[in-house]
Amino acid sequence: MSNKAARNLFIFGSLFFFVIFLGMTYDTLGNLDKRAPEITDEVDAGKHVWHKYDCIGCHTIFGNGSYFAPELAKITEKKPKGYLKKFLMDPKAVNPAAAMPKFGITADEADKLLAFLDWSSKVDTNGWPPKPILAVAAGVAGQELSAGEKVYRAHGCSDCHIISGIGGTSGPDLTHVGAKRDRAWLIGHFKDPDDYVKDSAMPKVEAPEADIEKLADYMLTLK
Amino acid sequence: MTIKHESQKIAEYFYTFAVVLFLVQVLVGIIAAVQFIWPDFFILKFNIIRSLHINAMVVWLLVGFMGATYYVVPEESETDLWGLPLAKLQFWATAGTVTAVVLGYIWMGLNPQANSPIMGINPLNEGREYIEAPRWADILIVISVLTFIFVNFMTMMKTKKWTGIQGTLLGGLTFLALMYLPGLFYTKSMVKDQFWWWWVVHLWVEGAWEIIAGALLAFMLMKVVGARREVVEKWMYIEVGFVMFTGILGTGHHYYWIGTPGYWLWVGGIFSSLEPLPLLFMVWDAFRTTRSARNVTNRAGLFYTVAHAIFNFVGAGLWGVIHTLPQVNKWTHGTQITTAHGHLAFYGAYVLLVLSMIYITLPAIRGVKEFNASRAYQAFWWMTISMVFIVLTITGAGMVQTYMERLMGLDYVTVKATYNLWFWILRVIFGVGFLYGVWIFVVDFFKLGREPMPAVSAVPGEA
Ligand code: HEC
Ligand code: HEC
Ligand code: HEM
Ligand SMILES: [Fe+2]
Repeated sequence: MSNKAARNLFIFGSLFFFVIFLGMTYDTLGNLDKRAPEITDEVDAGKHVWHKYDCIGCHTIFGNGSYFAPELAKITEKKPKGYLKKFLMDPKAVNPAAAMPKFGITADEADKLLAFLDWSSKVDTNGWPPKPILAVAAGVAGQELSAGEKVYRAHGCSDCHIISGIGGTSGPDLTHVGAKRDRAWLIGHFKDPDDYVKDSAMPKVEAPEADIEKLADYMLTLK
Repeated sequence: MTIKHESQKIAEYFYTFAVVLFLVQVLVGIIAAVQFIWPDFFILKFNIIRSLHINAMVVWLLVGFMGATYYVVPEESETDLWGLPLAKLQFWATAGTVTAVVLGYIWMGLNPQANSPIMGINPLNEGREYIEAPRWADILIVISVLTFIFVNFMTMMKTKKWTGIQGTLLGGLTFLALMYLPGLFYTKSMVKDQFWWWWVVHLWVEGAWEIIAGALLAFMLMKVVGARREVVEKWMYIEVGFVMFTGILGTGHHYYWIGTPGYWLWVGGIFSSLEPLPLLFMVWDAFRTTRSARNVTNRAGLFYTVAHAIFNFVGAGLWGVIHTLPQVNKWTHGTQITTAHGHLAFYGAYVLLVLSMIYITLPAIRGVKEFNASRAYQAFWWMTISMVFIVLTITGAGMVQTYMERLMGLDYVTVKATYNLWFWILRVIFGVGFLYGVWIFVVDFFKLGREPMPAVSAVPGEA
């Protein structure tokens, strides 16, 4: 091949692929709005707050960003808004071990951020993040769960609490909670955490009385 | 070796600024690594430290490319630079802008509210990874890059010697400037935001910058081993051609999970899997040319050049391809695996590239025939071995994270704070090793050609 031919291959080949890329870009942009909910003014305002505090400097969203803190695109599916709002405004007040700093996010800004994160949770991401296969497999294998354990799972308590090493770190570790609290405290706290712990960020447990009792029984086995 | 044209000396301004920022990048990198273990370690929090870390890197590499280009273009055009005062102005304006941006990040770190929008625009930090620089700085950067390209273009126009190397170099730089533009506007949709963001980030490192690397590699092989222009340029075209054929549509490997249509899984998977091939060509090219060489004039320079080719392939090619298929990326996306790849790719492809150019052109700029290369080798081994271990450490952390968080469903914070703790500790240790290597390099940069040669030359047999 002559030098000139090689040069032409480079120039025209690159242009060829770039044109295809532009065509696909055009098609993609036409499709995006169908794959995501409408962007309201509040969602847009939330995105501005997101940029203002440089959340991407620690977090990922849709898996892109920094790897210092958890992925946030689907956080509002996992944790209730009341809790998230309190956390955003003052992380260490909710979880003394939190590594996220207090930035001075106002209540209004927190609402906007949550509207934005609600929007991101509804974007069609081709199934990402995938369900953890080993956890799913373990569920299928199905150990015998006690009645209380079932309620604990159904209410997603483990998103915020750890029992024996498994679960989230937003709330206190419950591995030995049975040694610390009694039945009345637990039941009362489930119904209205605020009555027992000032400014609690734990959501009320919205469940029938019977389930709440089973849950309390289960907690008492954790010693 | 001495320079042929006085104006080539301007390269040293850029190199000096690049080298200082390199040191800053690595210092703040170590702070960031410590914060993984101890988040409250420093008054500036992780996001600010990380912005400084990655912005210092991007800027020093760009500034290094600029220095290299100001050296290469007069040499290739066989004439002095057109508009040297303009080039100097461009240098000082760039240095001033970068300093202002850095001060802005620090201010925001001390007072987050200082970044509150003024007329809808965040004055200190745009809050977008890699392109955090605020809008006013973006505009100044664009002006700086355009001035830079203009000066080089006018220099070429003086003699109209359209060599392949300088043509390709300028082509790569123009593509680089153009691909900065998609990052300059606000979109309401986070999906579109990331879509255009990847144009900047991916089409830079896997497009424009690789073209620049290909052109500089050809230049260095010619200078250092006296390879024939016809041969070197032909392979250069083929290499950068394949970089573009695979890399442009390879952008799709970032469009799997951000809300874009499913066909990108196919396009991105197939084309990005081919991206390592041109990088492998470059390694082969470097070895072939070196073997046929008779008169090596600058062994340290050659050493860095070949190392650049190898680590470009390992870091970008191999560490990139392992997680580029959608079937794999589904599990590893957004984990420490990405960090591991990012580190080795930037180090291998671009850090070593700029350092090679410095070792090849600085002796000529300083007017020395021969220099003691022992510090150059020492710096290389300290940096490279430390970087390889940093990358292995983070790869380990990424594998643990992928397994425990993504496959088993454990909580992010639990995995980070407990199971990966040792990896973070090791990373700090290797980071300090890297810093030591950089320090040796910085000392070498300032001393090269300015101290008497020792009685026994470290490069025996050299004239
Ligand atoms: C300096 C780094 C940093 C920055 C900047 C940061 N975060 Fe965080 N964030 C963290 C860390 C670390 C965690 C994990 C929990 C912890 O240890 O605090 C976290 C947790 C969270 C959580 C989840 C809490 C839970 O219990 O699951 C949300 C929601 C969140 N951050 C939102 C944001 C938003 C919104 C921003 C921007 C306004 C932001 N973060 C900026 C570090 C950061
Ligand atoms: C959104 C996060 C979140 C969820 C979901 C959550 N909790 Fe909590 N939980 C907290 C926080 C924060 C605290 C600490 C404040 C308090 O004690 O009210 C807490 C406290 C507790 C305590 C008291 C622990 C102690 O040592 O004092 C118990 C018991 C408890 N949670 C059980 C549960 C159960 C059972 C569920 C599921 C029905 C659940 N939590 C769901 C966040 C959560
Ligand atoms: C010199 C060239 C390259 C450099 C400097 C580089 C750098 C990077 C960086 C910094 C990221 C992370 C971006 C972020 O912070 O979100 C990244 C992501 C990625 N790179 Fe590269 N890269 C290069 C080449 C390649 C090649 C050749 C491939 C594939 C063959 C590749 C595959 C990937 C993939 C798949 C991701 C996304 C990871 C994820 O899912 O999070 N890269 N690259
Ligand atoms: Fe890429």
